[in-house]
Amino acid sequence: MMAYSEDHIALAAEYALGTLDSDERAQVETMMSVDKDFTAMVEAWEHKLGVLNQMDGSVEPRPEVWDKIRTAVGLSEPQAPLVLPDAPQPPVAHEVSEPAAVVDTSNVIRLSAQARRWRNVATLTTAIAAALVAMIAVGVYQPDLLPNGVRPKPRTQVVEVKTPSAPTPSSQYVAVLQKEGGSPAFILTVDGATKNFWVRKVDASAEPGKSFELWLISDKLQRPRSLGVIGGGDFTARPVLASYDTDTINSATYAVTIEQADGSPDGVPHSAPVFTGKLIETVPPR
Amino acid sequence: MLTPAELVWLLAAVAKGDEAAFERLYAATRAKLFGVVLRILRREDLAEEVIQEAYIKIWNRAGQFNPGLSSPITWMASIARNRAIDVVRKRTELSIEEEPTAIEVAADSPDPLTRREMTEELKRLLECVGRLEPDRQKLVLLAYYNGWSREQLAAKFETPVNTVKTWLRRSMMDIRECLGL
Repeated sequence: MMAYSEDHIALAAEYALGTLDSDERAQVETMMSVDKDFTAMVEAWEHKLGVLNQMDGSVEPRPEVWDKIRTAVGLSEPQAPLVLPDAPQPPVAHEVSEPAAVVDTSNVIRLSAQARRWRNVATLTTAIAAALVAMIAVGVYQPDLLPNGVRPKPRTQVVEVKTPSAPTPSSQYVAVLQKEGGSPAFILTVDGATKNFWVRKVDASAEPGKSFELWLISDKLQRPRSLGVIGGGDFTARPVLASYDTDTINSATYAVTIEQADGSPDGVPHSAPVFTGKLIETVPPR
Repeated sequence: MLTPAELVWLLAAVAKGDEAAFERLYAATRAKLFGVVLRILRREDLAEEVIQEAYIKIWNRAGQFNPGLSSPITWMASIARNRAIDVVRKRTELSIEEEPTAIEVAADSPDPLTRREMTEELKRLLECVGRLEPDRQKLVLLAYYNGWSREQLAAKFETPVNTVKTWLRRSMMDIRECLGL
């Protein structure tokens, strides 16, 4: 590859980052059309930065989008609905969002505008959140390079709790478990469809001989229910939320207590909640 | 999501005009790509147009995908994201002020998708981003994730556009050096 000036390198990098204005983007695209090496440099940047999309939220487009693509590229005829094991059909909730279709057209417009607004807010939530989680991840991988105020105290790790099969989620709920006004200690994510949950340890470390145990607290239940010890092993399969109904899961408070090394021996918490949080929906079903 | 190897296979089939493979590819990747563009465009109608154009381009250019240089999902997401950035840059009315409430609401809820294992490449990039000063880390990540222009970043960071321009350039050169590009 030929040597490029710093101006050209920066232009390629900022094209991939997305911060150029329209004229500069057009300039880069013109250069790419005549210079294979420059194209390779832009694509290398796109690939390097593109890994950030791993932390992105997924949002299902409406089925009409596929119809338009299929028509535009001239595919022969509609294929049978495709069911991939890891890409289930959107849940029934989609129907609920536009119920008045046959009855009252004005209502449809209002409802779907609301649904769109909702989705936009939710997507934006996911977007900003992705950047925040990336910030947390930066702390994970380079704690010594961050200034004291930002530096996480204990070493952090990702803990995943899941059932053997984990289909693409339809709606997702997340709770930040923290001390009142404190920084996040754990991030709890629940998949609305499968009720699988994941706990990500952000900033918490148990004393030697102690462990963190997660509890579900609901006014529908007589006592806190254990969801198991968290932060102990890297990957544990424990599909415990599946036995609770969706309302209970969504309205519950999630609390972390400090227990003996292998968790509470009698199914009741032995400390006051150290970290607590409630779920919020981040990707609505459609 | 299919594995990268399965997606490479599907792209190769799409390059030969295999319609069933294209449908499978779409089913496996649409939600990811739609999430990427909707986040930047913030409007479902615009995002749908962009996603259509992106898949038409993927259908036409599948033969140009080089598995030695990129992963299928990154390649496809780049096509969609580039189109989204083009659209958003041309729509000056889509300003940062348009949804101040949404941004405030958003600011305190972490992303739900942390369960996915980070690849070595992501760890490495984040390491390099982590070496930037804290404000510049945020600058780079917000620019990438939200597709914000320099003007929008300048407003967010309450800094002159020219300063943002300098920061962005310096940051990208620092990341380049760190990655050994």
